[in-house]
Amino acid sequence: MEVKLLSARFDIEDGHKIEVAKKNGAYATLDKLFAMEPGEVIEEVKASGLRGRGGAGFPTGLKWSFLPKGLDKPVYLAVNSDESEPATFKDRYILVKDPHMLIEGIIICCYAINSHDTYIYIRGEYVSQAKALQAAIDEAYAAGYLGEKVAGHDFRLDVTVHRGAGAYVCGEETALLESIEGKKGQPRSKPPFPAVEGLYGCPTIINNVQSIGSLPFILTNGADAYKAHGTEKSPGTHLFGISGLVEKPGMYELPLGLPLMEVIEKVAGGVKGGKKLKGVIPGGSSTPVLLPEEAATTTLDYESMAEHKTMFGSGGIVVLDEDVDIVKLVKNLIDFYHHESCGQCTPCREGLGWMLKIVKKIINGDGTMDDVNLLRELCDNIEMKTVCVLSAACTMPVRSYLDKFRHEFEAYVQ
Amino acid sequence: MSDRSKLIETGTPFQFDPERDAEFERLVTRYPTRESLILPGLWLIQEQEGWVCAEAMAYLADRIGTFASKIYEAATFYTMYNLHPMGEYHICVCRTLSCYLLGKQQIVDYLKEEIGIAPGEISSNGKFSLEEVECLGHCGTAPVVQLNGEFHEDMDVEKMKALLATCK
Amino acid sequence: MAEMVKLFVNGQEVEVESGKNLIDAVSAVGIEIPHLCYHPALGADGNCRMCLVGIEDGRPPLVPACKTPAAEGMKVQLDAEHIKKIQRDVMELELINHPTDCPICDQAGECSLQDYYMKYDGQESRMTVPQVKKGKKLDFGCGVVHDQERCVVCGRCVRFTREITKTGELGIVNRTDAARVNIFPGQPLNNRYALNVVDLCPVGAMTSTDFRFKQRVWFLSKEKGICHGCSKGCNIFIDHNREKYKDEVIYRFRPRLNEEVNGYFICDEGRMTYKWENDQRLITPRANGSEAIKSAAVDSLRNAISQASKAVFLVSPSSSLEQQFAVKAFAEQAGATVLGFSDGYIKAGDGDDYLIQDDKAANRAGLALLGIDATREAFEAAMAEADLLVSFDNALGCSYDQDGLAKVLGSCTLAVIATNSDSLSEQATIAIPTASYSEYSGSIINCDNILQAFARAVVKNDPPEDIVEIVNRLGGELENNQQVWAALKKAVPTLAEVEPEQIPEQGLALTS
Repeated sequence: MEVKLLSARFDIEDGHKIEVAKKNGAYATLDKLFAMEPGEVIEEVKASGLRGRGGAGFPTGLKWSFLPKGLDKPVYLAVNSDESEPATFKDRYILVKDPHMLIEGIIICCYAINSHDTYIYIRGEYVSQAKALQAAIDEAYAAGYLGEKVAGHDFRLDVTVHRGAGAYVCGEETALLESIEGKKGQPRSKPPFPAVEGLYGCPTIINNVQSIGSLPFILTNGADAYKAHGTEKSPGTHLFGISGLVEKPGMYELPLGLPLMEVIEKVAGGVKGGKKLKGVIPGGSSTPVLLPEEAATTTLDYESMAEHKTMFGSGGIVVLDEDVDIVKLVKNLIDFYHHESCGQCTPCREGLGWMLKIVKKIINGDGTMDDVNLLRELCDNIEMKTVCVLSAACTMPVRSYLDKFRHEFEAYVQ
Repeated sequence: MSDRSKLIETGTPFQFDPERDAEFERLVTRYPTRESLILPGLWLIQEQEGWVCAEAMAYLADRIGTFASKIYEAATFYTMYNLHPMGEYHICVCRTLSCYLLGKQQIVDYLKEEIGIAPGEISSNGKFSLEEVECLGHCGTAPVVQLNGEFHEDMDVEKMKALLATCK
Repeated sequence: MAEMVKLFVNGQEVEVESGKNLIDAVSAVGIEIPHLCYHPALGADGNCRMCLVGIEDGRPPLVPACKTPAAEGMKVQLDAEHIKKIQRDVMELELINHPTDCPICDQAGECSLQDYYMKYDGQESRMTVPQVKKGKKLDFGCGVVHDQERCVVCGRCVRFTREITKTGELGIVNRTDAARVNIFPGQPLNNRYALNVVDLCPVGAMTSTDFRFKQRVWFLSKEKGICHGCSKGCNIFIDHNREKYKDEVIYRFRPRLNEEVNGYFICDEGRMTYKWENDQRLITPRANGSEAIKSAAVDSLRNAISQASKAVFLVSPSSSLEQQFAVKAFAEQAGATVLGFSDGYIKAGDGDDYLIQDDKAANRAGLALLGIDATREAFEAAMAEADLLVSFDNALGCSYDQDGLAKVLGSCTLAVIATNSDSLSEQATIAIPTASYSEYSGSIINCDNILQAFARAVVKNDPPEDIVEIVNRLGGELENNQQVWAALKKAVPTLAEVEPEQIPEQGLALTS
């Protein structure tokens, strides 16, 4: 089932080194790139149907076309390598195993959007990964792919790695910009959108590592080659992360549209130890859980996920077996989102802490049915009342657990 | 998160060593505003000292030309900045979702027992510090432990035991 | 005139200023949108979420009013059930970790949380788990005490120190519900406007050491006034109370909005000048160097003036235009020399480029307008020949050191009409207490040539007379401000068209 478009060089020995990467096709598309008009590059990416791989799934080419024309301000590219959503562990493979694919993608994007300065925002915990990425960038500068002239063309491009320091919220694109500017990672109200007013008040495109990493394939092989994989509305491949209580957890590149259960069983070896399946988190911890019967009819694409009232998210699939205590799992999730709340908006700042204390009270055996009901009500009261969706990333899944596994909560308070 | 607002004042002034000083000046050229140096500057301090004291924050504020309160905000917001000295061996155990499902608690319990400290504490001889941290992005090889920044994947108590044995 | 647009609030059509944020736009027509973090002087931040309003057919349908410009045809929902529920829900979340210490909180009675709870919430508490604990009674410097638990983390105070004073002492540290306002160790508030954070704070998180625990605010009468601490003439509220069996006491000054003069703020020094209205007042009149009843002191001064061969009338650069003119008119009548020497009021270099002025006199421009010579030369030349000096509340003691004062006074008889007791009044042969600016009505011209009128704010149990009245008792022809103005308009061309009753709230910029 695996299709290796992005991970083609992952298994090559020393594939992260520029010489090896070049021998295997890295930077080969640049001559073609510079022969094209920037507008043509955008059209090609639009035609590929590539959707942002950070979680929201917004069409990448369309995002680029929102940049205002004819401004005398610089345009920035910020590459989102903050991957911090629990169950998401795909981008770091690109950073470590094929960083030159990312750099080549950055060149393609910057040429298309006429940007000369890129910041790669990498989460602080990725210590060795940041070093590997910086080493690759240094190689690219030395080889003339970055700097005053990119591959001998009259196009300057500078790439700077900016390390985060332990804040999940910086994966939110405007929090990420704030963080680069030296501030706390607190999301900005939109409008204005970053394409109009982003980094340092200038038009800015923020793309996920995998989205950018997909560009060399698209440009080299054309939009149709990319669209040949996946479904009509969700074309291409995705680096899926499968984890939790499953036999063969790991990162797998798969075309979109495959049946979820088939992937869990055939690619990831099924539920660990032959246990019964209790549920599946389909796209990272913030996505509503699927019951086994729902998972059975779900395919790995944006549309099917939406039909099942959940989300494709970041493609981080977590398998829950029959022994998982849902109430404790919910505590684990609320704990995470509460810890990561930026503290800006009242509902999220105060509400997630309240939810955490309530679920702890329930687990401690001090809870009542009122507490279960209150927890459920708070999901509605907090959600979408805030600047960003961090609180919703908590309340959406929590609501799904409360609705689908209510008996487990009730068992604690009876 | 627990309160991180109580800063430690060492009573001695801080300054970058020549290597960090040069790196700081190099980074200045990479950004259009000096305030962008707040996160990289805090990292340089932590690289140099292992943690960030109040004097170092004031120093960074001066170097950047900004308010100390802004450095203070960033240093307390981003949880990876150590606001007190850490153990020689700093152990971070991922506590989130997949690591939780796959038994991070056994590792934490083992460490509590073996080195005698709870998460958030530093052993009295300063050798170890232990922390439970949020998702480290290694869910496919859970549970994961970070020792002084290095990742150790597919951990269990036996492997943790072996890893501890390397901490001399 | 700003461009106007028509929009609908709860279905009712209103005309508001185009482009203004919805909070300000609809408040201009008397509709309140609750908010905690937004403040017109500090702009929109959008963190409190109290101002979420519905926009019918809008994309998105729910927006923070503080960040949403008023636009033609917009259908704003404020009393829709789903919006009222949001307001209730957000209030509940504001309150779960807020200590219920209103009975001992200075903000009680003027607290947005209290007011909004009554208006938009009103539910029983559902908080059955322990509240977040934070720091209490933190000394932030400049007389500001902070309570982190009462704080709603709206960030107004932080934005004030970053955007207005540009001193940046405050920050919001940590994240999640551990977020709190703090100062960096060893760097407390250190600016001359710091106490504005107490007014800005929508709750009782920022209190003033000066005002803490002194009065419940609902006992205070809040009158409009103008600060006389310098030549800026900042607009203030004079908050005062007469407790049972006691006299009127002013408890605080607070800034009052005047876009043309001081905006939303005042300086701390000016704020503290209220103390001069209460303390060290000249209470006991004197005649012939010893205590006397007021009428005896007035008689004594009237005689002294009539017997003097050369009298100098020294007016104060802080007195009202009316008082200065009354003294000047009386001097002409009595053959005295009227002067306004007051160099000591000027503290060179003390002012800043914001509100604080070097000149600590409130109405020096009045002297100039009335043609009263304020030079040292004129004063010392006149004094060389004078046998009587009458100070009309001029703090001459700050223009000279003691020796210099003795020298300039020579053998001249000294009479003072003064609000406060000072070294000058103590050595005066005749001393008559007079009303201070919170106790009379009048008008002053500020450093930017803006004429502002103010009304009497406080009536003491035994109200001292204002200089205009005292001058009249001494033999001056003008009985009151009305008569003064009639004469002023004739005498001063700049004021010929000014109607004192119609000086606008924002003041009147004088041309020429």
